Amino acid sequence: MSGPDTTELMNKLLTGLRLAVTEMMTSMAMSEVVFAGQESAESFTLANEVVGLVRLDGQLHGMVGVSCSQALLREIVSRIVGLAPDELAMEDLLDGAAELANMVCGGMKTKAQIGSVNLSPPVSIVGQEFIAQWKTNRPTTVFTFQMDEGVLIVHASL
Amino acid sequence: MKLLTIDDSRTIRRVISGIGAMVGFEVLEAENGDMGIKVLEKHGEEVALILLDWNMPGMNGLEVLKLLKADPRWAHIPVMMVTTEGEKDYIIKAIQAGAIHYQTKPFTQEEMATRIMEALGMGGL
Repeated sequence: MSGPDTTELMNKLLTGLRLAVTEMMTSMAMSEVVFAGQESAESFTLANEVVGLVRLDGQLHGMVGVSCSQALLREIVSRIVGLAPDELAMEDLLDGAAELANMVCGGMKTKAQIGSVNLSPPVSIVGQEFIAQWKTNRPTTVFTFQMDEGVLIVHASL
Repeated sequence: MKLLTIDDSRTIRRVISGIGAMVGFEVLEAENGDMGIKVLEKHGEEVALILLDWNMPGMNGLEVLKLLKADPRWAHIPVMMVTTEGEKDYIIKAIQAGAIHYQTKPFTQEEMATRIMEALGMGGL
């Protein structure tokens, strides 16, 4: 899929995505987050300890992934649910990673005002060492956000 | 009076339980529509407000909402949608199906607490 309509849609979604991350972190996690840059990558490659993934379909197909270290996820989920980081079980981290991706993508859609893109149920991965790579038709946009406790990375292949 | 949150995310159920406690309500939890109905069958008379997610495995939130509104045992209980789906179409569908409030995720604690109080006719905070 290409053309001016698609490019406009992609730009709207990417702008919405960037805003949605900041909104989600300030409202749900009550955390300061600073946008630290954007780059384009040839492939959709995740190499952090924690990932939340959502697929997009409809007028536009693609994938959005939120990734960070396990320590940062623990801190974020701890702030969201109001429990100490060491009280969180692996199940909390898995659900937290999925819900972060879900909220970021929902916020992205709402901000872009696009009803023609559907979101899949989120997938979460929490591990120690892995590299996951997806074959995509387009380059991946990688947003980096700096938080006090670490770096949050958001990948979007649209 | 109790609140019932139906959401497949335990993170969100915990957040809503915390906010419910903050405004003085015990919050019952269900991770999907079927479990929500089971909770209502047991505690329906005590439930003052249902907070319902949209995207869930099995029945989606709109289907659960229609089921609740079609059942005379639960039709009177107000329902607030709490969802990442924030487009106009979704909001209209939910209101037409009987939801009285629509709260998008993410939200602040204050927003959600205010919405709960409004939905219960107790005014904002």
